[in-house]
Amino acid sequence: MSRLGGWTGKILRINLTTGDIWTQDTMEYKDFIGGMGIGYKVMWDEVKEGVQAFDPENKIIVGSGPFSGTGIPASSRTNITSLLPTTEKHLISDSHMGGHFASELKYAGWDVIVLEGKAPDPVWVRIEDERVTLEDAGRMWGQGIFEATAAVNSIMGRDAHVACIGPAGENQVPMSVVMTGTSHSAGGHGGVFGSKNVKAIGVKGTGSVLVAGDREEWKQLDSEIMAVIGSNNQHVVPNSPQPWAEFHHPRSRWTGRPGLYWGAADPPVETGECHPEDKNSVGFRCHKAVFDHGPVAEKHTVRMGGCQSCPIRCHNQLHIPKLEEYGYSANVANTCVGWFSPGGFMIKGFYESEVEGEAAMVTRSLGAQVADDLGVWCNYMQIGRIFRYGYENGIFKEVLSEEEYNDIPWDKMEAGDPAFLIDIYHRIAYKQGEISHIGDGTYWAATRWGYGDDFWHSEPYAVWSPLGFPRHHAHETAAQVGALINCMFNRDAQCHTHVNFTGSGLPTDLQREIAEELWGIGALDGPQNYTAMNRSKAVFAKQSIIRNLLHDSLTLCNWMWPMQVSPLKARNYRGNTALEAKFFSVVTGEHKTEEELDLDGERMFTLHRALTVRGMGTMDMRNEHDVIMDWVFDMDPDKEPFTPGTIKMDRDDMQKALTMFYEEMGWDPDTGAPTRATLEGLGLADVADELEEKGLLPA
Amino acid sequence: MSQETQKKKGLFERSTNRRQFLKMGCQGVAGAAVSMSILKYFTSSPAAAGVPLADGLIIADPNQCTGCKRCETVCTTFNDGKAHPYISRVKVNRNYNYGLDGPRYNFQDGDGQFGNFKIIPEPCMQCEHPVPCVEVCPVDAISADDITRARVVDQETCIGCTLCTQHCPWEVITVDPETNKDQKCFLCNGKPACVDNCPTKALDYIPWRDVANAVKRHRALG
Repeated sequence: MSRLGGWTGKILRINLTTGDIWTQDTMEYKDFIGGMGIGYKVMWDEVKEGVQAFDPENKIIVGSGPFSGTGIPASSRTNITSLLPTTEKHLISDSHMGGHFASELKYAGWDVIVLEGKAPDPVWVRIEDERVTLEDAGRMWGQGIFEATAAVNSIMGRDAHVACIGPAGENQVPMSVVMTGTSHSAGGHGGVFGSKNVKAIGVKGTGSVLVAGDREEWKQLDSEIMAVIGSNNQHVVPNSPQPWAEFHHPRSRWTGRPGLYWGAADPPVETGECHPEDKNSVGFRCHKAVFDHGPVAEKHTVRMGGCQSCPIRCHNQLHIPKLEEYGYSANVANTCVGWFSPGGFMIKGFYESEVEGEAAMVTRSLGAQVADDLGVWCNYMQIGRIFRYGYENGIFKEVLSEEEYNDIPWDKMEAGDPAFLIDIYHRIAYKQGEISHIGDGTYWAATRWGYGDDFWHSEPYAVWSPLGFPRHHAHETAAQVGALINCMFNRDAQCHTHVNFTGSGLPTDLQREIAEELWGIGALDGPQNYTAMNRSKAVFAKQSIIRNLLHDSLTLCNWMWPMQVSPLKARNYRGNTALEAKFFSVVTGEHKTEEELDLDGERMFTLHRALTVRGMGTMDMRNEHDVIMDWVFDMDPDKEPFTPGTIKMDRDDMQKALTMFYEEMGWDPDTGAPTRATLEGLGLADVADELEEKGLLPA
Repeated sequence: MSQETQKKKGLFERSTNRRQFLKMGCQGVAGAAVSMSILKYFTSSPAAAGVPLADGLIIADPNQCTGCKRCETVCTTFNDGKAHPYISRVKVNRNYNYGLDGPRYNFQDGDGQFGNFKIIPEPCMQCEHPVPCVEVCPVDAISADDITRARVVDQETCIGCTLCTQHCPWEVITVDPETNKDQKCFLCNGKPACVDNCPTKALDYIPWRDVANAVKRHRALG
């Protein structure tokens, strides 16, 4: 058999209970491509309803895909699929991380790892090409992620890449992460690793990923992607006026400009003009540190960083000597909510500093360092909101013992002392006391402590769903499009297709013109100038999601892909949404059109839906799952929906939106559950049979 | 010990200076601003006999490397039709996490992503005569290319014996485990793909003449 392009062709199976290790042919799952898609298929076939996240019967699928390791920009994403302990019924979910793990896994010769069972004692998984062993993790158990990673590297060598959990994961805190590198964390499944006694996976490989197609075509595609790629989140205009730029937008993440430096480099490096046709300055476009922390961060920026193969460097690498005063390294890396979520605990603000923004930067950086080392997940900043409600409403005073309450250094928090974060994160990670139930996640904590309707149904706490996850680019992003996307998963939506588009920085009229070409007339409303639901918005939402799932299966970064727009006026700012299919064809050597690849995305998404139906034991997704909290409809009480100046949604209109969306997906328009016809059309007849047997298939 | 062996030993002893060289490199090698202390390791008399000088060489600036490793994938997909960082002619991955020294107990203060964020790319130095890889090859598979005079491997002649990998003072030659053939930098026939595709200008292809001029300029500046 000739060698596959893209895929290595091997899935690594490990039974932790017995220690058995064996190989499975990836092509058995070819219709599901990789990562997330294969994760859903394995979970459907092998983990039945009723299994809890921390049961040995649960499985973890750590997946790369045919693009991982090829060098396609932004392709070293790792997708982790398993049951999610923060949901009431431990439903199917995914966590994701960038870094250098997925590509290294491919070079070692593996597409996917499936972990099952439970090791009798703590272990770490050692993968060196085809040699796979379970190693004693006794000495690493209890270590922070940075130390434990270094311990694995000291054994495997400096060039290995490691995915690791911290004490939070070991202690089966539901809100915990798996992390690789110094800033790439996958949120939600750290505790599942802990429940299986798996501390880490180390991988190094001497092999390759084959590009099966024509080499000149590969080079041409690489050239095209470098022409249409923008900055982080595929923002395609700079945030300041520049001679070459027709447009600019202050919220763009294309922050590089003359006079802005990586100020802590030696000597400092100027980000410069970053002309869109200069591929040797693409990596300077995103100075994310000043975007995240403000101008104060410039002098602390050693450089930018990020994932293997990605020319867009969106992770800040900062040197902040003040962190050493708290006993932590001055060198700290992170991006976006990795910084902001620790700040969520500082509900009385930050300490006073002479330099504007410095206190916030120092506090957030310390918190990021602590949370990452302990492996605590934030669930898109929800952890601070759970804390805030409990504190501000006097609930902690009621539910904590007097001894515990008095032991918590509230005065530090009141004074804006960053050291409070060290205290609170340790309590969560080590499950110390009642307060540690913050780490159970929104649903469990709010239920346990009887949080009121003003928590669930008010905007400041951002709860989107009764399942307990927060909004994540919801109705504030493209109206019903973002709202629909936020209803479809079992955690905060990890979809960025739509928000990348609306955040591109291009003028609204031009965005609407391109949106009409991509999804139909009226697909995109103006900001805070919404209109009632229409069919094009349903198409926009569907396309956004299925590309998101494709990206997590191929794998590609959905913070950059798909390439819907470009920075080039010569292209009339149009991108190329066929690039994934073109790359798929040249990498695998198997021709696929954009439409054919999108159908693969529909298959994965419909299987995700079937898993949710089975996991919840109901097909009434409309009323049991796709439910939005009241604040979304009741905000701005003096305004009506679809009037200028508000993003308020309308209840009846949202039901209409769900119906249209279900219809676009071929799901039952009443319940939102997949139908037999649709399942069979996607090659999922076995799924239809099982759902029917369980009374979960719409008539 | 024969004269030839002694000559080789002298070269190989330089490998003990390699770490010292790279640490100096960390202090800021940018473009043509190459310091004297570095240049002394690879400048040469144009009159050197034997293997002619390469037209130029690739230099790296750790201060601008962000560790995306596009150089490693571009090197191998463009030249070999597969992404294969292990055989990449420029090496970044091995220094990505902890720099040249690997993980130490105080790794937070060392080089690399887990330390001070300094990432050190290592390209082929296109050594002056006597060129170690050329010298040790038992089948004379390595020679100066006609166009760039880069030291190139004749793939048909190479027997994959790994002598060149063992004797390269920079450890930038690799025998491809999938083909059992030696892979080393051949400057992509004069337009190195790694340099052409580095998104932060951390790599540069410098003609030897510019290197010599940098030396003169440095001297002129005193």
